[in-house]
Amino acid sequence: MERVSPGPVLLPRREGGLRRRLREPARQASIFVAYFAQFVKSRLAYRVDFLVDMTANLLSLGIQLLVLAALFDKVESLRGWSYDQVLFIYGFSLLPLGLFNLVSVNLYGFSEQYIIEGDFDRILLRPINPLAQILCSSFGTGGLNELVLGGAVTVYAGTRLGLAPGLAGYALLPLLAVSAALVYTGVFLGLTALSFWMEDRLGLAPPVYNVIRFSRYPVTIFSPLVRLLLTFVLPFAWVAFYPAAWYVGGPQWERVALLTPVVGGLTFGLGYLTWVRGVRRYTSTGS
Amino acid sequence: MNGATAPALPRWRRGPAATAGLYLRFMRLAFLKMLAYRLRYYTGVVTYTIFVAGNYFLFTAVYASRPEGAEAARLGGLTLSQMIAYVIVSWVGRSFTFNNIDRTLSWQVSKGEIAVQLIKPLHVQTMMLSEALGEAAFRFLLFTLPILVVVIPLFGLAPPPHPALYGWTLLSFLLALVVNAQINFLVGCLAFHLKNVSGVVRAKMIMMEFLTGVLVPFTFFPDWVQVAVAWLPFQAVSYVPVMIYLGQRPGASLAGALLLQAAWALGLFVLGRWSWNRSVRHVTLQGG
Repeated sequence: MERVSPGPVLLPRREGGLRRRLREPARQASIFVAYFAQFVKSRLAYRVDFLVDMTANLLSLGIQLLVLAALFDKVESLRGWSYDQVLFIYGFSLLPLGLFNLVSVNLYGFSEQYIIEGDFDRILLRPINPLAQILCSSFGTGGLNELVLGGAVTVYAGTRLGLAPGLAGYALLPLLAVSAALVYTGVFLGLTALSFWMEDRLGLAPPVYNVIRFSRYPVTIFSPLVRLLLTFVLPFAWVAFYPAAWYVGGPQWERVALLTPVVGGLTFGLGYLTWVRGVRRYTSTGS
Repeated sequence: MNGATAPALPRWRRGPAATAGLYLRFMRLAFLKMLAYRLRYYTGVVTYTIFVAGNYFLFTAVYASRPEGAEAARLGGLTLSQMIAYVIVSWVGRSFTFNNIDRTLSWQVSKGEIAVQLIKPLHVQTMMLSEALGEAAFRFLLFTLPILVVVIPLFGLAPPPHPALYGWTLLSFLLALVVNAQINFLVGCLAFHLKNVSGVVRAKMIMMEFLTGVLVPFTFFPDWVQVAVAWLPFQAVSYVPVMIYLGQRPGASLAGALLLQAAWALGLFVLGRWSWNRSVRHVTLQGG
């Protein structure tokens, strides 16, 4: 930008050359590595928390599996989906959820901590991407449990189904998981960004969050209207069912599954745009 | 402390009427406080509608996929319309019996705010129960009823086999509320002994959804599970009132079910009082 501010120059102008631009991502990455190291250090002081998180996650998983087993004790299939297929989708769903939970902790309390308490001022003063700072200054270590447990359930169900996904299948798995995590992040980023316009007293996040538990089932069990909503409006069908269907759904689902990265990119892009517009609107509370 | 020099604090003495008046005031205040935050509950209505909707579709799919056969119209002893009623009454009931005593109490203990409560001449347990009742009155009017108004036209709720069961269900949910409040109080008391209780609170919430029968009726599980949960207090929080609504506990067994809930409510209250008295003795508060 060529605008020259009329006031006194307090900061040296930063060089805008190509070399700096190329170095910039590396510089920022090194900062985030430092953030992460710092977080791990602070977190290791509370090892018990990690164990408690783990126990709660295991409990939650155990109960979900128990419920699935109880339902499938009564029926052979759920509208044509077998126990192992549903289990696979369930296991897969934990992978993007784990990735999302790792980075999203600060999105939940954003309005409280950053806007009302005024911490966002501090963030804006630093010459690093504000969103990256928010996401990286704390990690939900519970997400690691979900990754491990989800991986285990996916492999278990996959083995029982006799899946042989081949090289493409294995290569696709991380891509699909990350894309699905982008769907989560995009949706919740958009919701978080709304707090720049209104104080989050409405609490839009809880109802949206609770849709997650039902997006782990094959969307074909829902009515067409709900299916439409989950595909296009609140795109949670893409966090588990559509990507997992690449593996368990047969050929008619493969193409749909491959759209997951596109949907992930779009959702995240929309969320991020909302965020950027919100940041521009931000006026400090002055506290 | 030397008893000779320090003036002994007067023992708090109140007549029963004054005591009742005191706790009624907490009930009223809790009601008014909730009223101030009523906006929050609009999205809560959406949340519970989502819970009901998700389970509605799930169980509809399960019933649609059941094997052909004579007995197949029922799964776990329930027909599809009974199952839908089970889902609706469980979740709507939860909107009424839910409270945050565990969170509030453990937060107050770990932040040290409990000190303010300790110097008041009252029983914290009774105060929290009164507040929970006041909140429940608010919830019933401005949360539970609106959820019903949204959910019934969407999914259809079969009436109970006998109109009198409406009343018994309500009474049963009232007892369920007290049982739930006492369980939460006991969990909150753990904060006196544990450094980090938030994980325990979370684990409890996860366990409760299952052990109260909200997720799936126990009749879907093998007999030994049903026997095991029958010995636990959690079924008194949801499964019992819902089964009363469905008319699955007629006659003498209806009275038995209500008595069982009342017994749990009383037993857990006594246990809570005991646990509180013990915990308070070794509380150390950091000044701040």
